[in-house]
Amino acid sequence: MIGPRGSGKWPEVITYEPDNSIRKGYANLFREIGEDILRNRWLTYQLFKRDLLSIYKQSLIGILWSVIIPLVSVGTFLMLNSAGIFSIGRLHVPYPLYAVLGVVFWQLFATGLVAGSNSLVKAGPMIVKINFSKKSLVIASQGQALIAFSIQFVVLGAMFLYYGIVPNWMILFTPLLVVPVLLFTLGLAFLLSLLNGVFRDIGNIISILVTFLMFLTPVLYAKPETGLLSSMNRYNPLYYLVSVPRDLILAGKTGDPGGFALSILVALIVFLICILFFHLTETRVAERI
Amino acid sequence: MRDGISIRAENVSKKFCKSFRRGMLHGIADISRNAVGLGSHSYRLRKDEFWAVDDVSFEVKGGETLGIIGFNGSGKSTLLKMINGIFWPDKGKITITGKVGALIEVGAGFHPLLTGMENIYLNAAILGMTRGEVEERFDSIVEFADIGDFIGTPVKNYSSGMFVRLGFSVAVHCNPDILLVDEVLSVGDYAFQRRCLEKIDEIRKRGVAIVLVSHNMQTINKLSDRCLWIHQGKLEGVGDAESLTNRYHVGLFSGRSLAGVGETAGNMKLVNKYFGYGMESIVVESVHLEGNEIGERTVFQAGEDVNLVIRYRLGNSIDKAYLRVAMINENNINCLGDEIRIDCDSGYRFSERGTITVKIPSVRLNSGKYVLSVTMQDDTYNNPFYSGQFGYLTVVNNRSSVNSGFSTPVLWDRFDWKMERD
Repeated sequence: MIGPRGSGKWPEVITYEPDNSIRKGYANLFREIGEDILRNRWLTYQLFKRDLLSIYKQSLIGILWSVIIPLVSVGTFLMLNSAGIFSIGRLHVPYPLYAVLGVVFWQLFATGLVAGSNSLVKAGPMIVKINFSKKSLVIASQGQALIAFSIQFVVLGAMFLYYGIVPNWMILFTPLLVVPVLLFTLGLAFLLSLLNGVFRDIGNIISILVTFLMFLTPVLYAKPETGLLSSMNRYNPLYYLVSVPRDLILAGKTGDPGGFALSILVALIVFLICILFFHLTETRVAERI
Repeated sequence: MRDGISIRAENVSKKFCKSFRRGMLHGIADISRNAVGLGSHSYRLRKDEFWAVDDVSFEVKGGETLGIIGFNGSGKSTLLKMINGIFWPDKGKITITGKVGALIEVGAGFHPLLTGMENIYLNAAILGMTRGEVEERFDSIVEFADIGDFIGTPVKNYSSGMFVRLGFSVAVHCNPDILLVDEVLSVGDYAFQRRCLEKIDEIRKRGVAIVLVSHNMQTINKLSDRCLWIHQGKLEGVGDAESLTNRYHVGLFSGRSLAGVGETAGNMKLVNKYFGYGMESIVVESVHLEGNEIGERTVFQAGEDVNLVIRYRLGNSIDKAYLRVAMINENNINCLGDEIRIDCDSGYRFSERGTITVKIPSVRLNSGKYVLSVTMQDDTYNNPFYSGQFGYLTVVNNRSSVNSGFSTPVLWDRFDWKMERD
């Protein structure tokens, strides 16, 4: 109902013209984006609540599914390892703890990316009928991954207790440690949700890609010292964004502080570029979706 | 609202692509150009593109209601969506002063699994209300929707009427400065429709500018101060609602090119002839209609006098017959007609060729397209001489509503007539 740049002081004058946003200059654009997101935070919350309620209302164990999925993948790897098919690598902590901690961070990316890139398409009928902030849709879609993350962390706490291992005090900084991976995911989600609006192929590609990336990134196994995977992961920001927080929580230190810093920078740049892209083109979504 | 203008549309155009696949490519090209800060040259038509809305300009002041009419696919809804900011124009400029509220499809943002209450909050947020506003208006929303205890039930269990009532209620509680209404008034039962109309009237009196799209000319006539007629994306006419809806009806039912609307003329074509009947003792050669003045017409205002002129030729020698004249609407209901006895007693006798003129004193019919049925039978009713249907006659009735669902009353009238020999 309120234009993407609507609301606020009354009466406000809104102008719709072709290529409206590109006349404004980049500095103003980022201010606009910030205002837009802030103004619509209640909408974002409502959309988030809708997603959450609708997923778990018609399900028996509801939110517990978010715990089962990572446990199953860890269990599979454990089996493969004990059967000798797959080598996990050398670890200083019990494997389940290592793997679950990794998967928990990984799922932030995987769930967030899939939910985010489908967020606009799923809301298609609404987008062509009501004018509201599309950014809120994408942001709200990340809520699911965040809720799952919190619940998985409770399970993780239980696991620490079970193995009698005390995590490093860095675990208290978890809310900060997730920020880079969240920014990276949200950025990509902005870009991909829009492209998915035009080409539905994107949604399928992402589901495949996320699985593929999970095997490529040392989430469920230790990073090999040598070989193709090792050199590939040197340039994989996801590796740093997932495994450095894990290192910090388990040991309080990491071998790749430089890589982590660089990856945070990459995440930030990806986020800014993608959100700008989204902002410049979101007015074209309705006519293509 | 510095100059009191709420909506100003200046030469607004919007293009769409006929080919879906090519549309995707165009879309990606536009998006990429915008993303790197280039204009999208949207004023040019690319392959397979067409103007869905073409160079439309208008203004709406606060407190004014503008009706938009047009046939299906004429671009009305696209225009409305552009005012709402869902689509952006490809040419021209729209300036909106104030907060826009839209009744484009009520309940569009509802989630079936959420309860009525949860949906009120969700939908209100989507429609741009703040949290404080919803909390303040919550009771009023529930009261207007009249859904009682079902507020805690998931909306998928609502009847369609309840669903629409709740959607409408949330939407009208947004207190917009500009309200866009797209054909939502035709949903719900009669009582609810009336309440919606009352609500819209109340909103209008508050000084809200309203843009109303409808196929119901009665609604348009009743609510709008001015009217736009969009035809094939272009502005076909602007003016007071009554004269425009009149012309619209003529165009709708006569199916003629709009340029000629108003002065349609000519013989009525034979659209159906019943063979097997007959002896063809008498053949109707042509049929046409006239008003009170000389000159053939096919479009009449309800209540006008219509003269039906039948040219006949005799096959056998007959001296008496029954002439039945009837106007049949699109649902095949015989709406208006008479049976006329022609014989020596009435002072007439069939000649070899001649003209029968039937005077229909007042076509009291609903707006619509009618077929004229002309039948001649002998006085025993056993031998039909001729039976044919001629099309089409268009009646424009401003007091009737096309969509109202009330059928035209069936009426047998007394027609005066006369016969002339050649």
